[in-house]
Order: sequence, then C-alpha cells, then structure tokens
Amino acid sequence: MGLKIVVMIKQVPDSQEVVIDPVTFTLNRSAARNVINPADENAIEAALRIKDKLPDTHITVITMGPPFAETALLDAMARGVDDGLLVSDRAFAGADTYPTGLTLAATITKIGDVDMIFAGEESTDSSTGHVGPGVAEFLGIEQASYTSNSWIEDGYVYAERELEDGIETVKMKPPSLITVVTNANVPRNATLRMKIDAIRKGIKTWTLADIELKPEWVGLKGSPTVVKSMRTMNEKKREGKKFKAGEMDKFVDELVSKGILKL
Amino acid sequence: MVGLVNAEPPEKLEEYKNVLIFLETRQGKLAKPGLEMISVGSAIAHKVNEELIGVILGNDIDDLVQEAGEYGCDRVIGLKSKELKDFRTIPYSVCMADLIAELKPNIALIPATRNGRDLASRIAVKSKTGVTADCTELDIDPTERILMARRPTYGESTLAEILCKKHRPQMATARPGIFSVPEKVPGRKFQSEIRKTTVKKENLKKEIVSFKPKSTLDLTSSKIIVSGGLGLGKPSGFEMLEKLAAEIDGKVGASRPTVDMGWIGRDHQVGQTGQSVRPDIYFACGISGKAQHIMGMRLSKNIVSINTDPEAEINSISDYIITEDLYKVIPELIEAIKKKKGGAIAPAAAKSA
Ligand SMILES: Cc1cc2nc3c(=O)[nH]c(=O)nc-3n(C[C@H](O)[C@H](O)[C@H](O)COP(=O)(O)OP(=O)(O)OC[C@H]3O[C@@H](n4cnc5c(N)ncnc54)[C@H](O)[C@@H]3O)c2cc1C
Ligand SMILES: Nc1ncnc2c1ncn2[C@@H]1O[C@H](COP(=O)(O)O)[C@@H](O)[C@H]1O
Repeated sequence: MGLKIVVMIKQVPDSQEVVIDPVTFTLNRSAARNVINPADENAIEAALRIKDKLPDTHITVITMGPPFAETALLDAMARGVDDGLLVSDRAFAGADTYPTGLTLAATITKIGDVDMIFAGEESTDSSTGHVGPGVAEFLGIEQASYTSNSWIEDGYVYAERELEDGIETVKMKPPSLITVVTNANVPRNATLRMKIDAIRKGIKTWTLADIELKPEWVGLKGSPTVVKSMRTMNEKKREGKKFKAGEMDKFVDELVSKGILKL
Repeated sequence: MVGLVNAEPPEKLEEYKNVLIFLETRQGKLAKPGLEMISVGSAIAHKVNEELIGVILGNDIDDLVQEAGEYGCDRVIGLKSKELKDFRTIPYSVCMADLIAELKPNIALIPATRNGRDLASRIAVKSKTGVTADCTELDIDPTERILMARRPTYGESTLAEILCKKHRPQMATARPGIFSVPEKVPGRKFQSEIRKTTVKKENLKKEIVSFKPKSTLDLTSSKIIVSGGLGLGKPSGFEMLEKLAAEIDGKVGASRPTVDMGWIGRDHQVGQTGQSVRPDIYFACGISGKAQHIMGMRLSKNIVSINTDPEAEINSISDYIITEDLYKVIPELIEAIKKKKGGAIAPAAAKSA
C-alpha cells in the first residue's frame, strides 16, 4: 500500500479580480471569480511531488464549503489528485477556526489511515493560519507549519520551515500535517484531458451525518468567537497634494515642518 | 490530544483572572514580538486591576526571566527543561495548555509570528476555546472583562471586532510591529518563578535536524519605507532607492513583480503576499497601486506617489503626488534632503553661503 495523503483546500474569491473601492475602501467581491486559495495550490503541488516520486500514493482533496466549491475540487483533480471530497451542510455555515478544524479532522478520521495532511499557510479571506494546526491538534499528530519544501525519506517526513530568522529542517514520523507557504513551488497546470477525466469522475459529497458530529458542535453554533462589528478603515482622508520636479526643496520643507520626516 | 470534541465553555467564568502572555524566544533571546505583548498585555491587565503574567519556555532562561520582569511583567514564570531549548509545537503547546489549566487566565496573548501562530491554534483547541488571529488592536471591556480583539480583514480594508464571550481564556495572536516594546526598568519589582519540568517522551517525536539562520528584513516596524516598482525599469534602480533610504534612515520595499524578476530579495516585498507595513511615510516609486500592493501599505500614515502616470491608482490614496520620471525626481529629492540637513546643522552658514 502506498501513502495516503489528504490536501485541505478552500475556495476563495480571486484576489486579482477583487477591487478596492477607492471611496469606501471596502472590497468589491461581487465581480470576483472563485479560485483555490493560492497557498492551497502550493499545498496540492507539494503533495503531487510526493506522488511523482512514489506513484502508488493516493491523494484526496477535501474542502468544507458550499456546493459550488465543487469546482475547486475538480480543478485539483485535473492537476493529478485522485479524489475530491466536498463536506457540505447548512449546519457548517458561519464556522470560526475551532469548528472548521473539528469538521475537517472528523472528515479525515472518517477517511481513515491517512499518512500525511497538507494545508496552505493561510487563506486569503480569513487569513488566520489556524485551521491547519487546529486539525493536527484534534488528530493529536505532529505538524510542520510554513514549509517551503517537504519530502519522504526512509519512512520519515522531512520539511523545511521558513521562519523569520532562518530555515528550520524538521523530521517526523507520519501521520503528520504540513502547511505550505504561498509561492513555495510552481503549481502545475491542468491538462484538458485531465479536466475532462475529472468531470467524468466527479466528486464525493459528505454531510454532517456522514462525519458523525453533533449539529451544535459545528458552524456558527460551535464557534467560540463571534464577529461583533466591522468598520471600514478609511480613517484617513488623503489630500493628494501635488509637487513638481524642481520643487523638492519645498517638498522636503513641508515634510519636515509637519514632523513627518525628522532629519 | 483532545479528540473530536466541541469547544466547551467553563461553568464559572469569574474564576478566570489575569492576562497571560507567551514570551517568544529566538536563539536564546527574548524576541521583539513577545516583548510587544508586554505593553499591550499590561495595559489590558491593569485596566481591570489584574496581573500580567509572562511565560518563558526554554533551557537557559534565568536571565530572560529577569529581563521580562524589568520590561514590565508583574509575574514571570519560566518553564525549564533541556527538551524545551528549541521551539517545538507539541512540547510547547502541552506546557502552555497545562499552565493555562492551572492558572486560569482570563486572557492569553501570543505574538502572531510563525511559531506563535503554529502554537496558538493548538493551545486554543487543547483549552477548548477560541482564538482571534493577527490582531492590531486589543482592549478590554472593564465591566464584563471581555477582550475586544480587532483585526484587519478583507485585505486590510475593514477592521472586525471579534469577541469570545463564553470560553476561557479569551485568546488572541497579535501582529508583530503594531504594539510598542516597553522600556526596560532595571531593578523593577516583580514576582518570578522558575520551574524545572520534564516533557513526556511521546511528545518528543519531532526532531529539529538543522537550522540555517538568515537575516531577513523586517519592514513591519520601519517608520520610513522607500518602495520601488516596475517603473524603476531596471534592477539598478533599487541602488538609487537605497541612497534615498540611507539619507532618511528608511528601509527599501518593493512590489511583487520586481521581486519575481529577481531585482531585489523577496523579504523586501510589500503587499498581500509580502509584508503589511504602516510606516510614518511610504514612498511609492514607480508603483501603480494594484489592489494586492495597496493591501500591504494603505495604513501608512503618509503616502508619497512618484509616478509618470497622473492616473496611477496609487495616487487616489496618496497624500503627496509627484507626476514625474522618478529618475529625475529622486536625485533632486536626495539633494534637497542633504541641503536641508546641512542647513539644520549650521543654518547661519547655509544662509550666508
Ligand atoms: C495572488 C496575487 C498576489 C499578489 N501579491 C502582491 C504583493 O504582495 N505585492 C505586490 O506588490 N503585488 C502583488 N501582486 C501583483 C499585483 O497585482 C501587481 O501586478 C503589482 O503590484 C504591480 O507592480 P508594479 O506597481 O511594480 O508594476 P506596474 O503595475 O507595472 O506599475 C508600474 C508603474 O510605474 C510607473 N512608471 C513607469 N515608468 C516610470 C518612471 N520612469 N517614473 C515613475 N513612474 C514610472 C507606471 O506609470 C506604472 O504605474 C499579486 C498578484 C496576485 C495575483
Ligand atoms: N473550509 C475549509 N476547507 C478545507 N480546508 C480549509 C478550510 N478553511 C481553511 N482550510 C485550510 O486551512 C488553511 C489555513 O486557513 P486559515 O486558517 O483560514 O487561514 C488553508 O490554506 C486551507 O488549507
């Protein structure tokens, strides 16, 4: 039996198409397409690279999300992932990181005998980076977060963690969880052939009943945190005062007199 | 391991008191993001007449415990073991969660660094509570003692206030570079306690094979940033920006395409996939101001745009707009600064010259 890998992915609004409204400074997401969270694309690629070396590896991508998140799973399958599993139920809506991790951990438990789990370092829409480590805690397994490279050698998982002050290489036994930094690798493209195969194969869908958690443990009800309020951060009005070439003395005087530059 | 269970609220919320902070160490020293928790943590604790408890994990920590007290912790607890010498998720999260179960803090704060986030999420799950990530504002409601954790969301465009009303401790990670490092007061009075601990063998399975230190640029705490974009046209353009930055004691930032092309190192990148900065003044030189770049710098106190295109998007969020070729403007700007500096030292001489 080869390795069994799960990659956790999230569908997010494409940040390339999300525009900031210059007046209200809020994001206009309505126009945006949904894509795989960028770091999760790198996580998929990291898993596929293990499969490249160990071809009898089996990779499942999972996502907890609305039915339309199916497209993210199909996209991953078209790149070479074996199976796609959507965990979808109205009860999951409004989950913070605790129930999200719980739901994904219950899904992975139900899949069974998983050797490695990959996740992105963070999602562009929640950007907590807490879901991956949370899943590892629910499952009671080792983790290496913020990795740029990982491989299997002599039955051990090795990973290079990108820390603020250096690169740490760790070694751990499977089962373990790895989170991958954005741009860690160059994700491969899907071929047309594989896209067609992915659509033919289709995804599997599980609901709350399949993962056997209590309804009050998941989604909004299972979330310890609540968003109390949101306010736009347009605290500063920008004047846009113009200076021309040849006026740099005047410009510097202004910055210094306003205390913006201290020379 | 907690198993597949929900976040269980404790029965007696009033039992939970004080603010506990994780003092991160790096290469045997107290790291700056951890020290920043002291200023924000003590402000919160003292507002409700509670204590700030700093926790340090490691092996050679006696001096660090002393230092943490001098920086302003009311109480410092050091957990000492040779197994805790380096940060490792499981040993650290077990020690922290055990300490939390024993001390019952109302609030626990952890820096939102890479190891901090790695740790925080696991502690929260072990403690069956919530954690708000990457906060830039933290305050406490003085009557209910509820932590008001605020964090930028939707690409830094909105600030969300997140509460954890029923679960304890109320946890948050705080973004590095936002809160100040308090002043160290030698001889300051505080309680300290160093405990020798052991880590169970089953929790020591992850091995650190090697560590290659690298110096990365931290732009998040810079007061002045001079950033370059594709408008520089060539890699050597950054040399000119370095000169400007050197004159005003600033650091050099960059847009992503310049980094992708190898003109400058990735640690200079500002934006959604780079660093989020909020300096006193941000010079955007040859940067168009696409959403992903703006997300990382729009909270700068002052923004200067130097761009040949009068319609550049960056201009709509700029305090100062210079619509000119940057190769013309920046040398002039450097000269003007030099002149002003000269004038500041000897104004009389400058006038008579
Ligand atoms: C998922 C994702 C994440 C991203 N993350 C980031 C990120 O973190 N940071 C980031 O910066 N980008 C990021 N990007 C890229 C971003 O979308 C833009 O492509 C990028 O910011 C543009 O860089 P630029 O302003 O340097 O280049 P351009 O958009 O090409 O702008 C160059 C500017 O220079 C001006 N110019 C030209 N010549 C001169 C001259 N001689 N003097 C003065 N001005 C001149 C032009 O008028 C123009 O406005 C990301 C993109 C994606 C898809
Ligand atoms: N709903 C979800 N379904 C599957 N994976 C998720 C989900 N939310 C987050 N993740 C994973 O957890 C990582 C971190 O997300 P976050 O904690 O939201 O920043 C992502 O990059 C994904 O790999």
